[in-house]
Amino acid sequence: MATTSISLVREQSEAVGPTRALWVPFPLGRPLGSASDAEFQRSVVRAALDLLSTQTEPGIVDFPTDAPDVGEQEPWACPLNLAPATGDSFADRLSAEASRFLPWAAETRRRRGRSLFGASGAAPDQQREVVQALGSIADSGDLTDVPDVGIEWAFEMPLLIRHLVDDVRTIYHEALAAQPGSRAPTHDDLNDWIFESTVLGEVIIAIADHLTAAADEQPMLAFIRGFVVPEGRYRDQSSF
Amino acid sequence: MVRLSDLHPDEAAHLQMRADNMTRIEPGEWITPKPLSESTVAIVSTAGMHRRDDPPFVAGDLSYRIIPAESDFSDLVMTHVSANFDRTAVQDDPNVAFPLDRLRELRDAGEIGGVSNWHYSFMGAMPNPSLFEEAGIEVGRLLAADGVDVALLVPI
Repeated sequence: MATTSISLVREQSEAVGPTRALWVPFPLGRPLGSASDAEFQRSVVRAALDLLSTQTEPGIVDFPTDAPDVGEQEPWACPLNLAPATGDSFADRLSAEASRFLPWAAETRRRRGRSLFGASGAAPDQQREVVQALGSIADSGDLTDVPDVGIEWAFEMPLLIRHLVDDVRTIYHEALAAQPGSRAPTHDDLNDWIFESTVLGEVIIAIADHLTAAADEQPMLAFIRGFVVPEGRYRDQSSF
Repeated sequence: MVRLSDLHPDEAAHLQMRADNMTRIEPGEWITPKPLSESTVAIVSTAGMHRRDDPPFVAGDLSYRIIPAESDFSDLVMTHVSANFDRTAVQDDPNVAFPLDRLRELRDAGEIGGVSNWHYSFMGAMPNPSLFEEAGIEVGRLLAADGVDVALLVPI
């Protein structure tokens, strides 16, 4: 059996030394370049498969084309207004914020007919409980016991935190997808928005602070922090 | 656009550090497959995707999940631990990382011979990829036994 591969981080592929690799100039998270662009995706798959007949020795070949939705673009701004984050606790404020997004997220789910929500173990109709659970961890700093909100979680603590964040972010991302504005946001756009203007960003950083405080005795918790906060978004230090 | 110079400096430094510490694996035996139009193709992904009822991936996970060819994307979730890639594209269209529909189309157009009955999903984010050797050998054996001619490896 022969292998061919797609490479996103050229430096890492060069270090490992693959048999055949097509380096693509696309962002992490989209190795085929562009969502919902079947023709472009086919062109990438064809190029990777073509290496099987065109290459005579191991190496990395560059894909020549940038993804169609990359290039000079106007600044992205969130088209949805953030709800007044009322309440004293993180849980209440996050619930207030997320409640504004839930109907829009539902619209996106209806349109797509699917959702990646549920990585934490939550059922599709347990979005409010997931939001409550994440907020409660920020409030309590409890990194040991799973939040008791009536969900059979797929993970133990503290790794559950990582997937609670992912599920809540999925709600926000799906809401934005219903009202994308002039263009879809990039990874940096989303992180700028979440960490500079949302309660969700405050909650994630608060939990990261809890992990930092506990990492002196349990160094593994610093790794969990790195799974929760993207690099460059945690208090002028590495997330890990 | 994963030119490290385009990324946030902390993320670029993290990815470069990973590259600097990766063990060189070296290419495998050079195999020239039969013509693509006669070849059966399988996807081997490191996106951490799996069926909703499968065990989720956990940090340091070296195991894999099976994704049948007839899978419906509505049955898939992603439990990759990394916070450093954009999930919105996969949320919009899983084919952007797991191009099952694209393989079906290439098969229907006669460009490839067939689509494997089974595809395989790992979770990347492993500083030392050589730790996947045992599982990789097993998956290679299973793919070969299933009549697969080409494995298409797709990162996230």
